[in-house]
Amino acid sequence: MIYKNIVCPLCGCLCDDIEVVTENGRVADVKNACAFSKSKFLNHAKDRAKPRIKKNGKLVEVPIEEALDEAAEVLKKADFPLIYGLSSTETDAQRLAVELAELIGASIDNTSSVCHGPTIQAAQDCGAAKCTLGEVKNRADLVIFWGCNPAEAHIKHATRYSITPRGLYTESGKKGREIMHMDVRETKTSKMANIFVKVEPGQDYELLSAFRAVLKGYDGGDVAGVPSETIKQLAEKMKSCKFGVIFFGLGLTMTGGKHMNINAALRLVRDLNDHTKFAIIPMRGHYNVSGANDVMTWCTGYPYAVNFSKGYPVYNPGEFSAVDILARGECDAALIIASDPVAHFPAQASKHLAKIPTIVIDPKISLTSLIAKIVIPSAIAGIECDGTAYRMDGIPLRLRKVIDSEFLPDREILKKIIEKVKA
Amino acid sequence: MNYMKVILISGRTVEQGTSLEISKTSEEYSNNVAMIMMNENDMKEIGVKEGENVEVNTKFGSAVVRCKESKIDHGIAFMPYGPWVNMVIGADTQGTGMPDSKGVEAEILTTDKDVLRIANVITQIKGIK
Ligand code: SF4
Repeated sequence: MIYKNIVCPLCGCLCDDIEVVTENGRVADVKNACAFSKSKFLNHAKDRAKPRIKKNGKLVEVPIEEALDEAAEVLKKADFPLIYGLSSTETDAQRLAVELAELIGASIDNTSSVCHGPTIQAAQDCGAAKCTLGEVKNRADLVIFWGCNPAEAHIKHATRYSITPRGLYTESGKKGREIMHMDVRETKTSKMANIFVKVEPGQDYELLSAFRAVLKGYDGGDVAGVPSETIKQLAEKMKSCKFGVIFFGLGLTMTGGKHMNINAALRLVRDLNDHTKFAIIPMRGHYNVSGANDVMTWCTGYPYAVNFSKGYPVYNPGEFSAVDILARGECDAALIIASDPVAHFPAQASKHLAKIPTIVIDPKISLTSLIAKIVIPSAIAGIECDGTAYRMDGIPLRLRKVIDSEFLPDREILKKIIEKVKA
Repeated sequence: MNYMKVILISGRTVEQGTSLEISKTSEEYSNNVAMIMMNENDMKEIGVKEGENVEVNTKFGSAVVRCKESKIDHGIAFMPYGPWVNMVIGADTQGTGMPDSKGVEAEILTTDKDVLRIANVITQIKGIK
């Protein structure tokens, strides 16, 4: 079978032009895909998790129903359970995870607390002038990549949306676009840019503020290792473009200052709208982390770090975010779904997952599954089951199923656990 | 033993991203993730050659990884996201939910220790008090 226009379930670009060829229940070939996407599709059958429970210190294989029963028991008994992950699954599963959190009085958090949490905090503070990737493709003549590296993290971003594509008012493609890259180190992205500006580590806030100052007619001198003259020239380019956009990544959210860096970026874009049209889009990593924020917001009112122990949702990043709960050793059980904290959290936080009954729902053998008490394998959304995902600009797209799977989709697993907890 | 103080940043690389889609318990993943990139002169200063191991120490922990030359600035080192860099970053989020994974002060030393295999990294995580 040949499937056309498949949405890639890997990064926040959600490229919807993938062609998948299947043979004998396996993916045989993938076209139009980047290296990550290819690796995900072609290796979907490799290294799959099996239903397992830890017995006498060893993970042993059990029937799936037994793993589900055990998971429900653990969650029922827990006083302070944590549900974490959600970003690499589809929206129905995310909604059911919230339902389960409410049912058992859990804290629920998604991976945005360790990627674009600060972006959300800043937007809650001062708003964000956004646009879609379609508008970028069709209109943008100035594209700024700040603290991000799409050439290595969002590989097709440049060709589909931001640098080379020809659109309605961008007929000349790359030639008609000015590309700037601001970062602490030169990367493959710098090579795609016309201008690379090296920022001293930890000085992004200062440089963003310097641009704002120049726009208001002040001269802040040299800032963040960038000469005053360069700052003025770049500000002039920003002011005089027809449609500008800033894409920013974890180089802004993860460094000192965090939400204040983003706050400065959002305010710079707001100021630029006094002169021209300017927008800002976060480079979301996991393909449906944006959906995790949206689903949690329409279910609870809040995008991440929500606690249900009072019976109603309470939001507080720093208190109810997963790294903090784990580092303080507060939760007495954890359900990890569609994410691998042991691979991505500071060891000082993930160590707690080894001390409590941890349940992992994941299609693959993740590092977290190696320290878990219960492992429940699932179908891969966007390859083995359908669903909806939200692109980095907030546009929902439909994931398709191209392979039949012996595994249950995340949403079916969660439905069963909810039924068992209620029983 | 020579050492050098650097600012450590972490991030994604193409190799890390593709190998994690294959298997996080594979040799390929370890090879692509248990490493640090530094510039040529900094490597000379420490006395380490391409492919040799170094010990990375921060106030949060320590990890042994393979050193790779890269066109990065003097005094800056880069590690791909993964369990090895997780050993040397702290869990304090200053009330934001987000640990400081970019811009951590670290000390790089020559070493004759081996890179921990993934199974041993897991054992080490389990053993943290
Ligand atoms: S850029 Fe992202 S969404 Fe597009 S094909 Fe690559 S991994 Fe998939």
